[in-house]
Amino acid sequence: MNNLGPIQFATPLGGLAWAILAGVPVGIIALYFLKLRRHPVQVPSTLLWRRSLEDLHVNSLFQRLRRNLLLFLQLLTIAFVMLALLGPRLKGTTGQGQRYVLAIDNSASMSATDITPSRLEKAKEEARKVVETMTGNDLAMIISFSDKARVVSNYTGNRSELTRRIDSVTPTEAPTSLREALQVAAGLANPSKMVEGVAATSIVTPELKIYTDGGFADVDGFSLGNLKPEVFVIGPKPPAYVATSPDADTRSKRNASDNVAILALQARRNDEKTDLFEVFGRAHNYRAVAVATEARLLRHDPANPKAEPTLIDAIALAIPAQSDQSFKFDLPDTGLAELEVRIDVKDALALDNRAFTLVGSPRKARVLVISEGNRYLNDTWKTPLAEQRAEVTMITPDAAKAEGSTRAVAAGNYDLVIYDGTRPDQPPEANALYFGAFPPGPAFEKPKDLDQPAILDWNVAHPLMQYVRDLSTIRILKAQTVDPPPGSTTLIETNGGPIAFVTPRSGFVDAVIGFPLMVNREFNTDWPLKVSFPLFLANALEVMGNARESLGEETHAPGLPVTLRVESLGDSIEVADPSGKNLTVKRSPQGSFIYQNADVTGLYNASWPNQGRLPFAVNLFDIRESDLSVRGLAPDGAPEALEESYKIKIGYNPVQGTQKTVSARNDWWWLLATFALIVVLLEWYIYNRRVYI
Amino acid sequence: MPEVANLPLLDPIFLHKLEQLELVSKKIFVGRMKGERRSKRRGSSVEFADHRNYTSGDDLRHIDWNVYGRLDKLFLKLFLEEEDLHVYTLLDTSLSMDFGDPTKLHYGKQVAAALSFIGLVNNDRVLLDTFSTKLDGGMPSIRGRSQMYRVVHYLDTLKASGGSDLKAAAKSFAIKHTGKGIVVVISDFLDKNGYEDALRYLVARNMDIYVIHVLSREEVDPELAGDLRLVDAEDDDMAEITVSAPLLQRYKATLNAFVGGLKEWCTQRGITYIFTTNDNPFDKLVLNYLRERGLVK
Repeated sequence: MNNLGPIQFATPLGGLAWAILAGVPVGIIALYFLKLRRHPVQVPSTLLWRRSLEDLHVNSLFQRLRRNLLLFLQLLTIAFVMLALLGPRLKGTTGQGQRYVLAIDNSASMSATDITPSRLEKAKEEARKVVETMTGNDLAMIISFSDKARVVSNYTGNRSELTRRIDSVTPTEAPTSLREALQVAAGLANPSKMVEGVAATSIVTPELKIYTDGGFADVDGFSLGNLKPEVFVIGPKPPAYVATSPDADTRSKRNASDNVAILALQARRNDEKTDLFEVFGRAHNYRAVAVATEARLLRHDPANPKAEPTLIDAIALAIPAQSDQSFKFDLPDTGLAELEVRIDVKDALALDNRAFTLVGSPRKARVLVISEGNRYLNDTWKTPLAEQRAEVTMITPDAAKAEGSTRAVAAGNYDLVIYDGTRPDQPPEANALYFGAFPPGPAFEKPKDLDQPAILDWNVAHPLMQYVRDLSTIRILKAQTVDPPPGSTTLIETNGGPIAFVTPRSGFVDAVIGFPLMVNREFNTDWPLKVSFPLFLANALEVMGNARESLGEETHAPGLPVTLRVESLGDSIEVADPSGKNLTVKRSPQGSFIYQNADVTGLYNASWPNQGRLPFAVNLFDIRESDLSVRGLAPDGAPEALEESYKIKIGYNPVQGTQKTVSARNDWWWLLATFALIVVLLEWYIYNRRVYI
Repeated sequence: MPEVANLPLLDPIFLHKLEQLELVSKKIFVGRMKGERRSKRRGSSVEFADHRNYTSGDDLRHIDWNVYGRLDKLFLKLFLEEEDLHVYTLLDTSLSMDFGDPTKLHYGKQVAAALSFIGLVNNDRVLLDTFSTKLDGGMPSIRGRSQMYRVVHYLDTLKASGGSDLKAAAKSFAIKHTGKGIVVVISDFLDKNGYEDALRYLVARNMDIYVIHVLSREEVDPELAGDLRLVDAEDDDMAEITVSAPLLQRYKATLNAFVGGLKEWCTQRGITYIFTTNDNPFDKLVLNYLRERGLVK
């Protein structure tokens, strides 16, 4: 046994208490010899007893002691009780209190039942064991983490409180991010931190114990500082190492695990047959053997969310071992529909066997173009795609100044307003795209003129610049630039500074292109002639126009806030979660509704007065969470050279996981107390049953 | 007093059995009245025993005139005289007898009643005496079956009281009763002054002595446990004991020595010793046990 160390004692009693305690056996012996507790019994005559006693008096001290079996049992009891109060323990910490930070992974994969009752329960059990081994001076704090970390309990030495808090950790359906937990732990490991009046001294380095199944990416660029992390890998042991060819990357192939998951699901209108929707998805088999099952498409009744959904379609799936299988359902357009896909496999993680999506409820973007009559700009809105996606109103700057137009803009009737070489007095209650003009505001008061700027770079990662590839070939005569205000994202960088950027404005977005397309009916740039120009406008429509073809295009991950674009003018909406519980969401200062409680997968339903309704689906769709194979443990028989590759990397420190658990029962007092109890029972038995030796 | 004490001392079935019995004495006593018992003492009865020479002063009525006619000598006819027997019962009523279930005293009363009844049925003279610290008044001597109610009444009124002083009681008894006969001593003999002197007074009277030694079941096999202060019922003497296996063994050894010593002492002096406990049914004791020992036949 590894934990058989020297026996240590930790007693909460002081010297005085011990002195009193030491008096107890003395008192018991004194009482026995004083015979203070004799029970009087009347007998016909003491004649015979006297004679018997006279004989016994001849006997030795041993005889006298043997008579007092009960005394011995009482002394034995008190000895056990005293030993128990000494608090002997095998392995333990002394004097200076240890600090523990117990980080418990409660992400979706921890709900897996491949170890009974579940990985999370096992993790909690291990954490409880650590709490049980704590001595009087030790402090521990509990952090639970999934995609975000939560401090379950601050530093405290109250073990029952800690145990209670550990019990309160519930599984989530969110993905895993260790970084957050590490940040919280590192913050608390800071020596100057004062928690609950107890200074975490610089001498004591907290022990960070992480209970996880390793279902997260390595944490790069994080300094652990003086944290000593220890990763307890919760989950089945990885299978023994099988030697492969030396050049094969052992990490590319993960170990098999008992799970079949839906990793993607989307609903889209069929491009050819526009009266059809396609629901397509992808299932992954993590098992080492092929799985034959079926995917069922079910339709929920929004009027009756509690009822069992009705079956619409089913597809047989044959998924080879550790690979993907796509599936597709065709569905006639019947308006807004709430759909669910289930695969009927009994595996260790049930929650990724279901996925949700929505079809229908298309919405056209309402676009206002204020232009003197730029043909290239106007013609872009006449393509079939644009007509299908947007309702475009084109007016001149003069017309825009009319009262009806300004009121419509101020009332938020448009999603996107495009200003071509003109500048409004007030920013619109909509997203705005400026060509050759700057939004109103002090930040844009002093533009700097540029002559024939050369485009150096553009931000391809931004959704507005999606597919825009040929900007290096466009030429610009004149442009203006400003220093973009804080929070802005530069789109196009020239030798003279940024000439296109995106800046947020109280819930809306302003995109500014620092050069006009035409000046006095003359080209200022040849961009409208390039293929990237309509693409840019299409992106603008997509990103800033709030258009959608179907609700099924949006998907949300559990645990993340959901921004709801609802056509309600009220200040609050009701959001029902999959269990049917309603929550009122207030309009944020930015004007949108942000729902923070999408913690579980399923179909949510936002509603507002006048029959307004916006359902949305929350799905896990996390390849890492669904992969239940544990990480951080080197399989048996793995060559030493590869051992490094199995470690979990936190910053620059590879951490070897362990499944070795703490022996929780290293306190002995309970054993001694049990002995004491047994002796008391024995004494009772002897006293009552008249057993003599 | 336990409930048993209120029960009738004798039941009719038992009385019927008793009628079949007859007291027997191993010695010949001179009775004051003619009873149904034949005496070795020759006297005037119908049963011929022997002849003897006539001496002056003999009753002429007893001369065997037939012998005189044949031998011309005067002979007297001698007859076996039928005598009556004195049955003394000496019952211990000290406080130490008031233990057990039924109490030793109750048990002793039952035995005394049974023996008295047998005596009365056989026309013997029955005397009941009780003692504690001294010999109590006792009951006047009675004879005849019809007097049985007096025995029962007397026994029923007895209450345990006082300590036991066997010696003083025996001395008074010996002085009070000069006649010979059977004396049955019913006691637990738990007298701290010993029993030897007391029995010597009786032995000196040349009586046919029976000792019925009554102990309770609790005394023979004590059910005590723990640390106890034993209080003597008679003299409030205290003995502090811690019950343990060796002590109990020692007690039993002491008890055996006590009982054995009394028995040996009695046997050596021609006293019939009968040991009984209060859970030995008294009718069995009277019907079987006493018959074996010769007290009844």
